[in-house]
Amino acid sequence: MNSKIVFGQYYNSNSWVHRLDPRVKILSLILLMVVIFLIDNIFFLLGFFGLTILVILSTRIPFTKFLKSLKMITFLLLFMFIFQVLFRRTGELLFTLDFTLTIWNLITIVILLVFYFLLGKVFKKFRFVQLLLILILAFVLQYYWVNGKEIVNYQISVYEDSLLTASFVFVRIVNILFLSSLLTLTTKPMELNQGLESLLKPLRALKVNPSIFTMMIAIALRFIPTLINEANKILKAQASRGVDFKEAKLKEKITQVVSLIVPMFVIAYRRAIDLSDAMEARGYDPDATRTSMEVLKFKMADIISLSTICLLCVAIIVLKIVF
Amino acid sequence: MGINFSKVAFTYNPQRKTENNRYVISDVDLQINDSNEFICILGHTGSGKSTLVQMMNALLVPTKGEIDIDGNVITPKKQENLKSVRKKVGLVFQFPEYQLFEETVLRDVSFGPKNFRIENPEEKAKEAMNLFKLDNSFYDKNPFLLSGGEMRKVAISGILASDPEVLILDEPTVGLDPLTKQELIDLLKRINQENKKTVIIVTHDMDVVWQVATRVVVIDDNKIVYDGNKYDLFKNEQLIRQHSLDVPEIIKILKELNDKLKINIDVYQDNLESAYKAIVEAYKHE
Repeated sequence: MNSKIVFGQYYNSNSWVHRLDPRVKILSLILLMVVIFLIDNIFFLLGFFGLTILVILSTRIPFTKFLKSLKMITFLLLFMFIFQVLFRRTGELLFTLDFTLTIWNLITIVILLVFYFLLGKVFKKFRFVQLLLILILAFVLQYYWVNGKEIVNYQISVYEDSLLTASFVFVRIVNILFLSSLLTLTTKPMELNQGLESLLKPLRALKVNPSIFTMMIAIALRFIPTLINEANKILKAQASRGVDFKEAKLKEKITQVVSLIVPMFVIAYRRAIDLSDAMEARGYDPDATRTSMEVLKFKMADIISLSTICLLCVAIIVLKIVF
Repeated sequence: MGINFSKVAFTYNPQRKTENNRYVISDVDLQINDSNEFICILGHTGSGKSTLVQMMNALLVPTKGEIDIDGNVITPKKQENLKSVRKKVGLVFQFPEYQLFEETVLRDVSFGPKNFRIENPEEKAKEAMNLFKLDNSFYDKNPFLLSGGEMRKVAISGILASDPEVLILDEPTVGLDPLTKQELIDLLKRINQENKKTVIIVTHDMDVVWQVATRVVVIDDNKIVYDGNKYDLFKNEQLIRQHSLDVPEIIKILKELNDKLKINIDVYQDNLESAYKAIVEAYKHE
């Protein structure tokens, strides 16, 4: 049916990061995340961020892929920034802005908001940017155009610490997101799974069998395209019976959603039962040790990368203790 | 009115510049009447049969060309009122039992009529189930506890209950035992002859085609390669070979008999009774 389902975010290429052992990549991500939180000097943090960017550029993966990971949290970051600016009052006072809301600019702001909604009917893309521009305009009005009867007057004071803390949080979050994206963009899902299984082997000593979880992940990954296909078929079958999410009352919509979910559950359960029977018929034993076709081996590049990162970790910790 | 395809082509990736053979189906010019036709669509797996059929009730929209369904013209740029199309053209998918989801059989069969805002949805549901001889003992049963054949009957009733003018079924007899299969074919024949509805089935089963078709459409190499009556199709041995089709059992058997017994019966007999009579006739003359 719908041919290519780009799964996860893997970007097919052959950079040095792609070629690293997945275990090294996973361990590095964890260590680097710890490092990011240990650094408490803004210049070191920015330097570290610069290094991240250099590594990203060296892989030649299009930067837009990394920016996509920021899409989801833009709102959160903005909210955090505003929160910091408004409420953190320590450190040196940098500047104060005087805003006044009057009858006239309130009316203008309302008109602007209506304009935003109408604009949304025409330009469906970049709604967030549109809203941002409207809001900035609203504030500019409250700053400059203050005639007419005053409703409320307020001030926003920006202190040094608020910008500093906001920058710390911002850089840390973006850095972590970029490093995580680097992991998923350069490592195939099955490689990640294998790496995880290898790293978790020591858990066997605690009577926990990590291979069971990795098998579950592998099966889930394998069946995602199949289940998407089945979901499509069910959607079409129910559409032929008049399921139409646009014109339906709330109660009907619920039944319509149920008409999609129940068959999917039935299909998924049937597959699961059939698959487990098939696996057992071929002698699958969850507790047995399994070998695999491709064995993960450390190469020189892996050893160098991992040692560099460990050294970095140690260096940061030492610097923290000494200073 | 009916369904009219004009120079229709379909591909799943319209953005990519595709050469002709990347289209799932192309160059489709097809006129289907909304009454009295019984069309069988043949073609090997992957030939585009399901795609063609899904365009008939606007589940898929053409990449090129236009489709006129009872006055509603659907083009790559304009698709309106699709829900009313789906009420008029009922499509039953392969293994329709997967679409069952309600708590009771009656509620599931009335799901379609309710969505299409048909009056007295439960009455219509009961009428549809009656066609399959599903009596009131079924109404409150849990659809998931029925046998495979019963589930299929319930699923098809779910589409019949909305009283479509054109009924399309994608491989309706797959997985059924011979008795249920014949029941279903007989029912479809009745719907076609008594209620004068157009029935379209996608099938691999040549015996079914031989029994019921008034018109056969063959799809091969992503195009329609034959559109005509069944006699002309099965008489044309070259066409059969060229498109990897098979021939109905009755014709095969009679041909064997002709060969082995050195008689000369007209192999293109409509059914068992006329075949029997023809064999008897042939021996009378010996």
